[in-house]
Amino acid sequence: MAQQLIDQFAARLPADRRAAVYQSTKTTHEKRTAMLFDQFAEPHRLRALAGGIKQHVLENLDTLLPAVEAKLQANGAQVHWAATAEAACAAVLRIMQARGATKLVKAKTMVSEEIALEHFLAAHGIEALETDLGEFIVQLDHDRPSHIVRPIIHKNRREIAQSFERHGLGAYDDDPQTITRRARQFLRQKYLQADVGLTGANFVSVESGRLVLVTNEGNSRFSLAAPKCHIALVGIEKLVPRDRDLGLLLNLLARSATAQQLTVYTEFITGPKAATQPDGPEELHVIFVDNGRTDVLASECRAILRCIRCGACMNVCPVYRQASGHAYRSVYPGPVGAVLSPLLAGKKFPELADLPKASSLCGACHEVCPVDIPIPDLLLRLRDQGKRAGAPLAAAGTPPMGAWALLASQPAAWKAALLGGKIINYLPTKLLPVPPLRAWEKSRTLPEWRGGEFRRWLRHRTTP
Amino acid sequence: MLNAERKPVTGKRVQLMATCLCDAFYDDVARATVEVLEHAGCTIDFPEGQTCCGQPALNGGDWAAARKVVRHTVRTFAGEDPVILPSGSCAAMLFHGAPLAFEHEPDLAAVEALGRRTWELLDFLVNGLGLTSWPGRYDARIALHRACHARGTGSLPAALTLLRSIRGVEVVEFGELEQCCGFGGTFSVAFPHISQAMGDLKLEHIRAARPDLLASVDMSCLMHLSGRAAHEGQPIKIRHVAQILRDALASA
Amino acid sequence: MSSDRDTILAGVRAALAPLAARAPLPDWDRDLVRVRTLQPAADPWARFAARLTAVNGTPLTAVADLVALLEKNQWRRGYCDPALWPQFQGAFPAHFTVETAFDRTRVDDYDFGLTAAAGAIAETGTLILTDRGTSSRLAALAPWVHIAVLRREQIYADISAALAALPDDPNVIWVTGPSKTADVEGILIEGVHGPGVQVALLQ
Repeated sequence: MAQQLIDQFAARLPADRRAAVYQSTKTTHEKRTAMLFDQFAEPHRLRALAGGIKQHVLENLDTLLPAVEAKLQANGAQVHWAATAEAACAAVLRIMQARGATKLVKAKTMVSEEIALEHFLAAHGIEALETDLGEFIVQLDHDRPSHIVRPIIHKNRREIAQSFERHGLGAYDDDPQTITRRARQFLRQKYLQADVGLTGANFVSVESGRLVLVTNEGNSRFSLAAPKCHIALVGIEKLVPRDRDLGLLLNLLARSATAQQLTVYTEFITGPKAATQPDGPEELHVIFVDNGRTDVLASECRAILRCIRCGACMNVCPVYRQASGHAYRSVYPGPVGAVLSPLLAGKKFPELADLPKASSLCGACHEVCPVDIPIPDLLLRLRDQGKRAGAPLAAAGTPPMGAWALLASQPAAWKAALLGGKIINYLPTKLLPVPPLRAWEKSRTLPEWRGGEFRRWLRHRTTP
Repeated sequence: MLNAERKPVTGKRVQLMATCLCDAFYDDVARATVEVLEHAGCTIDFPEGQTCCGQPALNGGDWAAARKVVRHTVRTFAGEDPVILPSGSCAAMLFHGAPLAFEHEPDLAAVEALGRRTWELLDFLVNGLGLTSWPGRYDARIALHRACHARGTGSLPAALTLLRSIRGVEVVEFGELEQCCGFGGTFSVAFPHISQAMGDLKLEHIRAARPDLLASVDMSCLMHLSGRAAHEGQPIKIRHVAQILRDALASA
Repeated sequence: MSSDRDTILAGVRAALAPLAARAPLPDWDRDLVRVRTLQPAADPWARFAARLTAVNGTPLTAVADLVALLEKNQWRRGYCDPALWPQFQGAFPAHFTVETAFDRTRVDDYDFGLTAAAGAIAETGTLILTDRGTSSRLAALAPWVHIAVLRREQIYADISAALAALPDDPNVIWVTGPSKTADVEGILIEGVHGPGVQVALLQ
């Protein structure tokens, strides 16, 4: 049987890296669960409500998007639209060029990863510096994040210290405190020199037009305290109907992501800084980014757009824990990524069609999702899509089901197979033309074949 | 609940779907299921034409093949009586997976109707028939694996209710209950490395609790875990919850 | 740009057109997200102080305690909101250097920044800062110590109450304890980009 790409990646993963990912995700998951269930009487009801709110948003984007645009403009923000990654990059560049800006600091935004903004801006002579500690380290190393909340979950302190030394951030010292202090010193100068602070948005309230940003490190705040221009890259699905809905979503997001009651910095932005305020942006630009989202909205997997990027699904996922984020070959790893990445790939779907196979369909991701996304159902839909598209990556390792289905819909043939199967008790499986059995027996023993025994017993017993 | 819309149970006639694993490997589990249902006063009909629920094809991504098998199952289990399966996984296929694969099919209603009268055994005993305890004695420290397809259903609480009511039974706790055993059908052969690692972690947690046996409401998990344990030369004792209930009756 | 707008909105409309019905907006009771493990507290400050302490923040009720904390750690150079300085001036010893304008070219010259809070959330230990009420975003962020001055009547019970009363201000920030990260091997480190010490001073 062919081994799936993600399994091959997992098999090659160094043991210490796997152990680090496993331990860290397990700890976060367990804290998250304890906190939610201790503090709230009905966590599952909260998840269902939050999911309902986000599903309402998705199914009403046709009216909500123009409504929030009007609100943002009334608040003094400039609203831009980008249908594609290229358009989003171009919009950022245009805003910067109009201001003569050359330096940008970036607080964690997954959309900017998605549109490969840093690479694009570099080609235009613009420095786009990551400010989230993990993202900063990823950027130094020309690496990629492997978790949407913990970008360097795959790195240890020794690798980071070596990298800092290479980049002139001080002599080798792998104390996490020292690493953090050095980044603090280096980055605060960068904030102060930057012309533009670029962020994402965790939520945008349609009611008030408030952009909501959450971070723990304070990097988004610094990006909005020092530079004079703020650009927010916002996926079109990020809306929430009312400010009060944030009460549900913020409570769920912090607990689901990092087992915190509330993220350290939760910022509500309606426009450029107040006139009396000496620090902060004089201009606020909001770029609504599609980049494949309307296609996802049109698909039967639209519920994946409810995602609030907490990472709880990857923390609980046994496959993610064994394989780590880079195994998914895309910006969004883990269960949510296994659905979202192939969908956002558009025409390149076949290149990521194996991702939906990377699940035992255990349902743990659905059980922890703060917006109640039925991830296993969506994975199943994409498996069907992969099969219909004839994607070889999806097919690898899955035995052909046609002959089996024929057998399983003909009772006489089925009964004959039940009896005939006894052959596996006598012949070594390596002699049998059944690849799944051979694959199974590489690491597990098969039980004794007892096909037909139950039916015989049922026929011959004395009914009570 | 995954299976929120259910047809109320009115009589005690049931149809038994043994499942392909019990048909092929675990005949005693199917026997125990019959004996447990009969002890609960049920009359059992076993449609001879039954085969498989179709889940391997659904999970494998071949929905056309899955629908073929599901259609056969719908025909085979005609009627109005509850359909009982000694497997949370196969039951979930019929009440959740199959309707998903039939969303755009003309015979969706028939598939959904079967789903509404499909029950995993323990769920049926407790939430269908209303049992709150089980007689007899069974002296064992039992580790109950939380089969993944029992998530979001009444099966696990039901199994615990009945097991804990049996004299001599001690249900032992172990770590990472929410984690999968690593079986996942064809996942186990397409992802051999990850599947094995998942199984080994599960076994490690279970062994740390030093149970006398490992129980589940699904033989697929138990087949994977016991198969892995035996392959490593450290076999473990496995029992379907139905077998424990049946054996407890011997001393009732 | 308008063409991208049209493309996106047309795409959204086309995607939603086949839906037979749109998902309704569920209503929900904010009691559902009230933390049940916290006993009702008669004094909102007591609740707030306990929760702030739980996130490694520092609640203080007397200026003298603040000065002692700063003195003990030799944090003697700082910034104070000019509107607050007259009332605090007397409490700070002469060897402290306190400026009432924050010079962004010397961010590292400030050990502490003292500014006004616009409110607080008891349930989470959160301080609320606004653009109009906080004299300098940078002064409340860049120094190692941030002190937010708070009045008892400004304390909201929980997140929902604070959301219902979000100030009309272009920028509202909720600060829940010191800046922190667990990016390196999951180890908690405080003071990443923002303050390592977050003080709430009850006025």
